[in-house]
Amino acid sequence: MSEIDTAVIKPEMMKPYIWLQTSDGSIQQVEQEIAMFCPLICQEVIQKNMGSSKNCAICLPQQVNPAMLSLVLDYCRFHQVPGRSNKERKSYDEKFVRMDTNKLCEVTSAADSLKLKPLVDLTSRALARIIEGKSPEEIRDIFHIPDDLTEEEKLEPLKNITDDPRIRLLNRLYAKKRKELKEREKLKNVEAEERVDERSVDDLLSFINGKDSDQKGSKTSKNKKKNRRKKEQQKNSSLKEASELNKEEVNGNNVRHQSSEAIRVGETSNLDYTEDGTFNDIVDFDDGDIDDEIDPALKEKIDREVEDFARRLNSNWPERMQDFLSSGRERNTTLFTTDRTGFLSRHA
Amino acid sequence: MGDVLGPDFISDLPQSIIESILTQLPIRDAVRTSILSSKWRYKWASMTHLVFDEKCVPLCNDRDGVDKSIVKFITSVLFLHQGPIHKFRITNSYLQSCPEIDQWILFLSRNDIKELVLELEEGEFFRIPSCLFNCKKLTRLELFRCELEPPLTFKGFMCLKSLNLHQVLISPDAIDSIISSCPLLESLSLSYFDSLALTIRAPNLKYLNLEGEFKDICLEDTPLLVELSVAMYMTDDIAEHFEQSSNCNFFKFLGGVPNLEKLVGHIYFTKYLSIGNPGNLPIIYNNLESIELYQVGFEDMNEMLVVLRLITSSPNLKELQISQGSSNMSSATDAPNMDFWAKKCPSDSTLGHLKVVKLTDMCGVPQEMEFIKFLLGCSPVLEIMSIAPCVHDMENEMRMLIELVKFRRASTKAEIVFTRE
Repeated sequence: MSEIDTAVIKPEMMKPYIWLQTSDGSIQQVEQEIAMFCPLICQEVIQKNMGSSKNCAICLPQQVNPAMLSLVLDYCRFHQVPGRSNKERKSYDEKFVRMDTNKLCEVTSAADSLKLKPLVDLTSRALARIIEGKSPEEIRDIFHIPDDLTEEEKLEPLKNITDDPRIRLLNRLYAKKRKELKEREKLKNVEAEERVDERSVDDLLSFINGKDSDQKGSKTSKNKKKNRRKKEQQKNSSLKEASELNKEEVNGNNVRHQSSEAIRVGETSNLDYTEDGTFNDIVDFDDGDIDDEIDPALKEKIDREVEDFARRLNSNWPERMQDFLSSGRERNTTLFTTDRTGFLSRHA
Repeated sequence: MGDVLGPDFISDLPQSIIESILTQLPIRDAVRTSILSSKWRYKWASMTHLVFDEKCVPLCNDRDGVDKSIVKFITSVLFLHQGPIHKFRITNSYLQSCPEIDQWILFLSRNDIKELVLELEEGEFFRIPSCLFNCKKLTRLELFRCELEPPLTFKGFMCLKSLNLHQVLISPDAIDSIISSCPLLESLSLSYFDSLALTIRAPNLKYLNLEGEFKDICLEDTPLLVELSVAMYMTDDIAEHFEQSSNCNFFKFLGGVPNLEKLVGHIYFTKYLSIGNPGNLPIIYNNLESIELYQVGFEDMNEMLVVLRLITSSPNLKELQISQGSSNMSSATDAPNMDFWAKKCPSDSTLGHLKVVKLTDMCGVPQEMEFIKFLLGCSPVLEIMSIAPCVHDMENEMRMLIELVKFRRASTKAEIVFTRE
């Protein structure tokens, strides 16, 4: 690649050395042929004419300190020579990755920032080999990963766990929500076909108007309940965070449900996941309109149910969890748009 | 501790690196990383490559139990997964056809699946649900032991580059239409089809591999074909069909592939090509550098003609490998046409680039020796000719060697290597 590219460069640029500035500010001279093996450096030289003198040294990304640069350049120096056999290259690669694990991670990061894909693949394969077959404790040890999952840790997603009544209750509530959302969807689709069959929409509207003149899309009290719950959540932050947490739990635990509900869960929840992971088009909560129309008795019942549920959840989580939950408070509005399946989900 | 990345030096690496690491782990280990720490909880869930191979669940003696646990495992992985899935591959010999697979394919069809490989080993063939045909972004499809029936409204996989069907039940019209409706198709492999009559129209096709009982194959529109590998099995029906056929198979098959670089033929391929009269249309394969033909019947003049034609139409041929395959050579020696090669071959033909020749299963009959003589005499840059006899028979081998030594060699560098088992 470097030969073709250098052909395009003006003669003044054909110096054998270019200047690179590493993350610690120090500037060094490197053979151009070798440095150009890295796509990022190549780009800088060709597109921006950088690197020809000390003053316009190419600023390398912050992951590249002098030690890392020298390792990456060693790799480039070996591989940019065209005459080597595959066997030679492979054996060099194997020797190259014999280094401390933390250095390996640093090199991976440096290579990635320089867009040097072959080196990234090599080092990440080496890291994968390190991780493979080891127990979690060993892995944490090697990479110094903090062990901050004491409660959730027990909920390993692949194992069967004893039936937790809270999980079942949560699943039931979610199932109800999903049903409501589904009905809403159907309704939406029906409205979209207005021109095709007006009669059905009119029927629906009159049905809706009969119950509640102000709501746009919902036609049952269940929908009100769901919207209500959302409002509730905005008031009661500990509830929603607990629900969010249980969503994680549920995600972890749903596997064990062999009942039809779970299978339905499996189908529907995954069906409606939008491509880029955002849930923009579902949010349809006209909060302002709803409240005034709900039957107060029903409202109370719902409030009680929800708070009871919240209390049951909260009572079993240790202090630390509460802290974690309260720290999520700021992310109110983005956190709790529900997707079609009714899962409260985070905008990561 | 106290590196550039902080005390924990792996969890903060960019997601693309983590993905690269996780996809190089067996899937079970990758999913297990979820309990490393809170940051790692869902790193695995956005992997875009999911490969379920033999090791994805621990084995035990109960075959049914293993099957169930595989199904559970895959279902739960898919359920917990977030984000697009580009590559999905199941190659597990314990997994039998079951209704859950339908659901998985449905799920994948809604998650931008690009590469799908389904190798189900045991039991009855799995009927592929129609949602597979909604996977608009599919670039690679490999199916083993399935039943495939494209819906009437199927317009084709617009992005499909590689198609590999192995023991797949599908109607001939359907397979024709699938192939011709995938405009970007570059690599096609069809194995173990029964009595298939195929017309292949694939303007971008580069690699073709066919294996099975084919009644009739016509490469109608494959101008870019680079590599062709055919293993043709024969049944009595097909043999009869051949006798009665008036087509010129050579032309139908190799008439439209001027860019061919490598040709491999097994079993009855040369016999198939020998049927019909190719006429005198000169087709030159300028790029054909490697020819491998197995089970060639040397006693059949027509097959020899095919071989001759191939060799002389390939001016840049570098490697030739021929394996003899007649069942009984002894009965074939009635009045051999000794001047066959001298007559049929243009006198000034030289195989100007032929460097390596490998002949196996040679019996030493006159037809073979003539062929060797021809090759030696026409290859000025020949470097190695290796000959392996089919049966270890001292006398026969001695005879062959004595004859070989007499042959003129056009190349001063030619080495004849006689390998004995």
